[in-house]
Amino acid sequence: MSDRKIFSVVGIFDSAQHLMNAIPDIRKRVNAPLEAYTPYPVEGLDKLLGYRKSPVGGMVLVMGIIGALSALGFELWTSGRDYPQVTAGKPLFSWEAFVPIMFEVTVLFAAFTAGLGMLLLLNRLPMFRHPMLRSSSLPLVTRDRFALAVEARGAEIDVEKITRLLQEFGAKSVEVVEEPAPAGVASPKFFLRTLTAIGIVCILAGFITYWTMKLFPIVKPMVHMLDQPRLNPQSPSRYFSDGSGMRMPVSGTVARGSVPYTIRNQELAGDLVNPLYRTETVLRQGRQAYMNNCSVCHGVLGDGKTSLTKAYGAKPANLVSQSIAGLPDGKLYHVIVAGKNAMASYSAELGEDERWATVHYLRVLQRAANARDEDIPK
Amino acid sequence: MNKQPGVRGMGADRKLIVLAGAGLVGIVVSWIVSGGERFWANWILWFLFLLTIGLGSLFIVALEHVVGARWSIPLRRVPERLSSLVLIVAPIALLALLSLDSLYSWTSPEALANPIIAGKRPWLNVPFFIARVIACLLLWGLAWWILVRGSIKQDKTRDARFNLRARRFAPLFMIIFGITITIVAFDWISSMEPEWYSDIFGVYIFAGTFLAGLAATTLALLYLQSRGRLKDITRDHMYNLGGFLFAFTVFWSYIGFAQYMLMWYANIPEEVFWYQERIEGAWGPILLGLAVFHFLVPFFLLIPRDAKRDPRFLFWTAAIMLFSHWLDLYWMIFPVLDLGPLFGLPEISFSILFVSAALLWIRFSMTRGADMPAGDPLLSEGLEFRL
Repeated sequence: MSDRKIFSVVGIFDSAQHLMNAIPDIRKRVNAPLEAYTPYPVEGLDKLLGYRKSPVGGMVLVMGIIGALSALGFELWTSGRDYPQVTAGKPLFSWEAFVPIMFEVTVLFAAFTAGLGMLLLLNRLPMFRHPMLRSSSLPLVTRDRFALAVEARGAEIDVEKITRLLQEFGAKSVEVVEEPAPAGVASPKFFLRTLTAIGIVCILAGFITYWTMKLFPIVKPMVHMLDQPRLNPQSPSRYFSDGSGMRMPVSGTVARGSVPYTIRNQELAGDLVNPLYRTETVLRQGRQAYMNNCSVCHGVLGDGKTSLTKAYGAKPANLVSQSIAGLPDGKLYHVIVAGKNAMASYSAELGEDERWATVHYLRVLQRAANARDEDIPK
Repeated sequence: MNKQPGVRGMGADRKLIVLAGAGLVGIVVSWIVSGGERFWANWILWFLFLLTIGLGSLFIVALEHVVGARWSIPLRRVPERLSSLVLIVAPIALLALLSLDSLYSWTSPEALANPIIAGKRPWLNVPFFIARVIACLLLWGLAWWILVRGSIKQDKTRDARFNLRARRFAPLFMIIFGITITIVAFDWISSMEPEWYSDIFGVYIFAGTFLAGLAATTLALLYLQSRGRLKDITRDHMYNLGGFLFAFTVFWSYIGFAQYMLMWYANIPEEVFWYQERIEGAWGPILLGLAVFHFLVPFFLLIPRDAKRDPRFLFWTAAIMLFSHWLDLYWMIFPVLDLGPLFGLPEISFSILFVSAALLWIRFSMTRGADMPAGDPLLSEGLEFRL
């Protein structure tokens, strides 16, 4: 015998019945894991061998729930905190939109846990060569014999005692199977370590990319959305021969449903009176219009602090500051219609009522930012 | 094996007949008290509930023939007998045609003023509607004749040629089933709101139908076992049924949510109004109840392996699912009345009448043929099924 470690002691039985009869007696006398090899699935063998219920089910359930929760957390963070942006007028926290991704990540976590948990933890893979494959017992099992192996699994086992026991309880022959010679570089351990390293590198690369783009906004993410063929305001276009991208309205005409706005100067607009009452409906309309059009730059709270500010170096106005809170309604309305500094006109996006409703909602934001004690509901 | 004296007590039948009579009086009174519209809404609801159970059972039978499943042969007689509901549904469906004037607004000439309904005119017109209803009933009757009557006859003849015939017909039935279940969904349910569009609606109704058939099969099988019949069906067979229930409760939720989410996202008036009517007011809690009892509760109850093998546990889970299927239909149909969720005398008397009549019919079908398809040459293989 060589000095290699013992993998298992294998007894060969003539029939499934012989094998099944021997198992309880051997289990009583040997305190080592048993494994059976049969040419076809034998009913009840798993119970005799004392296999407990597989833990994979529980692992999958736990990991599935973790997957669902981490997807939910990630979505809440990205769309609610890190890059809040209203899409199609939906609330920032729209659970309906989160469900498909939660579902996918749940399935992903659960499937990976089931697959990898079974292969790596329970079946002890990667194992390039199972010692049984080179034994002389396996060819017999693939024909018509039944084998019972008492496995060492790293511990010392009493080979002679087990051989005697196997023979005593009906084994026709007994073989001692050794552990294979240690593999070279391409060992299972090397394989696993490489996989782990690749995984860690991927995760690190993700974090590095994220923080690079966050801290050094020179690298713009998703440039194809910025550089699309389109008509940019105040820039020449070859769409029409006179170099502009759109046509001026025919002189002397007014578009249907639009009221001409003739005030050219913000100072003059101060006399305009907000025609809408501050009802709940109006304030809701104002909030919707504000969230859809203004919040991207001015922020959900109106303080002008959004992720865009940092990423693109823009300085949108702080709408809840004292100087802007002191402006009359008409001057705010004028800015929405005519634009100011880098801000373009929003007269195309917002109808007249929506603009005035937005002004009302701005007052709500300003009041909220400078709340006094008596504003707190009792 | 044909007659089982002592098992089928006549006392229960007599009680059911009395109950059905009381229900019949109740629905006549409710017609007088609360009017025709609510009467017909109840009628359609119970027609579809019985139809989906019968059709779902027929689908289970055909599915076994299509895929050549062996494990389900010993319990095949249960869905075969339940599928006879598609026969008794025929007069109910023909009477339901009387509801066209009161519940289906597209039948009125004024509806044509709406360009959407006018565009659907080639499909939504009364003669074609009636033709489709009759064609569907005939096709289901034909499928029942070939798949179920043939199987019952095989008990005596022991003729294995039936298996070959069923195997040839079953794939064809799958096509028939797919088309007719979509017609049922579009004609009887979604055309109550004729402006509405939803392509996936037929799949949604299919998911509910298969689930209803599975739940009813499980309930009937476990009830029969508790009465000492079908003793050879093991917990391994039940495990498979439980697995199907689990899979298709997820499928139903998947399709239901897919339909909801796409409409919520697109926010197009001719789609979202359907959900708006079914979320606002007291319908909101009912929709929530559907999410809980049609998905969450059965999903988590059926996860453990042992839950699918425990007859009592499986029985109550299947009962919850069958009830949720009824609630699903109720939630789809009743908002058309624009009266909020109703459950009063009409609903109670309809439940009593249709449940007792359906149970009478099922008890009668349970005496047809042997308890297991005794003539099927593969029966013993099915009995040997172990996980």
